[in-house]
Amino acid sequence: MLSILLTKRNKPLNKLTVILLATMFGLAIGSMPVSAQAKPDPKALLKQLDDLSDFTGKDFSAVFTIVTQKPGEKESVTQTRVFRRDQKEQFLILILLPEVNKGQGYLREDDNVWFYDPTSRKFSHSSMKENLQNTKAKTSDFTLSSFTEDYTVTSMNEGMVGKFPVWVLDLKANTNEVAYDRVVLYIRQDRTMLLKREDYSVNGRLMRTTAYPKYVELEGKLLPSQILILDEINKGEKSQITMTEHSVAPLPDRVFTKAFLEQVSR
Amino acid sequence: MNTVLPRIAARNLLRQKKRSTLLAGAIAFGIMIVTLINGFAGSFIQNVSENFAYLMGGHVFISGSEYTESGRRISVIRDDSIIMQALSESGQKWSSLQKTSETTATLIFEGKSISQNLTGIDLAHSAMLKERLALVSGSWDNLAWPNAIILSQSVAKKLNVLPGDTVVAQFQTVTGQNNVGEFRLAAVTVDSSFIGSIMTYVQLDYLNSLIGLGKNEYMSLGIMLDNLERSDAFATSLYTSMKGMGLQLFERSTQDENGAMTPFQAMIGSQNSEEWTGTQYRVFTVDDVLAQAKQIVVALDTASVAILIVLFAIVMIGISNSFRMAMYERIREIGTMRAVGVQRNEIRSMFLYEALFLALAGAVVGIILALVVMAILGLITFDPQSPVFLILKRGHLSFYLPPLRALGNIAIIAVLTLVAVYAPANAAAKMPPAEALRTVK
Repeated sequence: MLSILLTKRNKPLNKLTVILLATMFGLAIGSMPVSAQAKPDPKALLKQLDDLSDFTGKDFSAVFTIVTQKPGEKESVTQTRVFRRDQKEQFLILILLPEVNKGQGYLREDDNVWFYDPTSRKFSHSSMKENLQNTKAKTSDFTLSSFTEDYTVTSMNEGMVGKFPVWVLDLKANTNEVAYDRVVLYIRQDRTMLLKREDYSVNGRLMRTTAYPKYVELEGKLLPSQILILDEINKGEKSQITMTEHSVAPLPDRVFTKAFLEQVSR
Repeated sequence: MNTVLPRIAARNLLRQKKRSTLLAGAIAFGIMIVTLINGFAGSFIQNVSENFAYLMGGHVFISGSEYTESGRRISVIRDDSIIMQALSESGQKWSSLQKTSETTATLIFEGKSISQNLTGIDLAHSAMLKERLALVSGSWDNLAWPNAIILSQSVAKKLNVLPGDTVVAQFQTVTGQNNVGEFRLAAVTVDSSFIGSIMTYVQLDYLNSLIGLGKNEYMSLGIMLDNLERSDAFATSLYTSMKGMGLQLFERSTQDENGAMTPFQAMIGSQNSEEWTGTQYRVFTVDDVLAQAKQIVVALDTASVAILIVLFAIVMIGISNSFRMAMYERIREIGTMRAVGVQRNEIRSMFLYEALFLALAGAVVGIILALVVMAILGLITFDPQSPVFLILKRGHLSFYLPPLRALGNIAIIAVLTLVAVYAPANAAAKMPPAEALRTVK
């Protein structure tokens, strides 16, 4: 660019002008937010993202309200209370609303995810990959993320989400047992925050776009307090998740047991 | 053979037409009810099994199970050459074979969605489809499309989709990954039943490619036999043949101790505690899956026996009283017969013959009435969407009365009537002739 500026003039520039131009150019480069950020190590960036949702050593609980819209159907509201103990990868998701499903719950015990139905008083096998009730959210959306373990970064580019410069990380699943074979993450450059996520099917079709417009800080970690999930296959179906009552107060051990789920469901 | 006593007994019955008709009518009503229950129970399990065999695509099934590297268990038969060899070496005959893969999917078309069980079969070469399904729209020729899908009328209506339209399906692969496929509606079928309406058929190869199975792989092999009753013997023979070829097999005889589960459920349950390498196969029949339905038949049969006893306890009291009255009405006649040399046991036999004729007449009429009611009920056509379709035969109630059971019911009635009449018959037999002749009515 400098050479272009130089060559556009017919007569040679003096030394001071060249230094001034070079300084201005340097400042201009420095003031450009996108190109100013040194490209981070993609693995380290993923690790940072995982760490943001990791409350190892503490317990985490919050209430999530999920408002789901489907074309031609009345808006539905699902409310859950989530208890997590990341140290042991345990969680309990208790359904509070709608009233008809109140008392149902999802419990992770070792490698099993159990669904409890208080009507039949029975536990059945569930999966982190299944949708939570009638919403667009999956059970895994409420638990500790594990991008580092599950995915490999295939490319890292710069991009924009709204007015924010972002790193666009294209991830490929390490095994054929994670919910989405390909995930694209849009991570804010100036501060490690996930702004957008795209989930793709095995045959490469965009299935779900998730936006994270609001964050709250808890114990020095940034947590999305509002999440918008768009179903890209069945256009028009979407869920908005709002997080409230978040806490890292210690939880009793019995919270992560079937007996507790049965007890609170009565 | 002395036919005098039976003839007198028959004449006595005819002399009191009204009373005999009422008594025989009571017996006939009881036997009709019991016969209807027996007839329903007799066809119940057969209808349920046949309907399930149709829905599941076979009477006997083989499915494979293996662990992925991460320890997830998936259902797959990767190489069936040895199974085919075992089938032919079992020496058994079958009508047709059907390879299937399955997944649960959400079908989406222009903003409308519905959850369906997608069954992947070789559409173009499936004889079962053309035999069992009737088309409302579309064409059998369309089944050559590589991404063809067959929907039932009710599902097509809910999605507002027409032949030629492309439906998007969202589902998970065998390892649990989300995937999407596009299917072209080849044909719409008449809703053959409540469960039939939720069956959706797609091309096996295309479904396999979407759920992560290879071209020649599938989940289950259904074997259709010419007769449902052969299924257990066929499965046993096939199991032995497969075992003999060194294939790993789950135990067939696994039974739940408390009987709360079907043999199939118990087999699945026991598999959860087992670990193996490679593919392990299970052989099961439609009856293994439906063993609990058999308990319904036992319950119905038990109920019919209970009804038989209760109904006839009431009827027997009436018969006993009627015969006691008949004895007093005929007391001078009995005295005269005794006076001219008829023996006590002959008087007793005469009353017992009357009771036996009454029981037989009532039982035969009852069975005839039951057959008539069965025929009338069999004419009623039920809505194919009706949840009771599983117990129907081609949309109609059907009954099967095992002949031995009918004869057994007649025998029970005869014995009970004889028991009820024995006391008045004995009293008539023991009456002194002089005393009987002196009695004035």
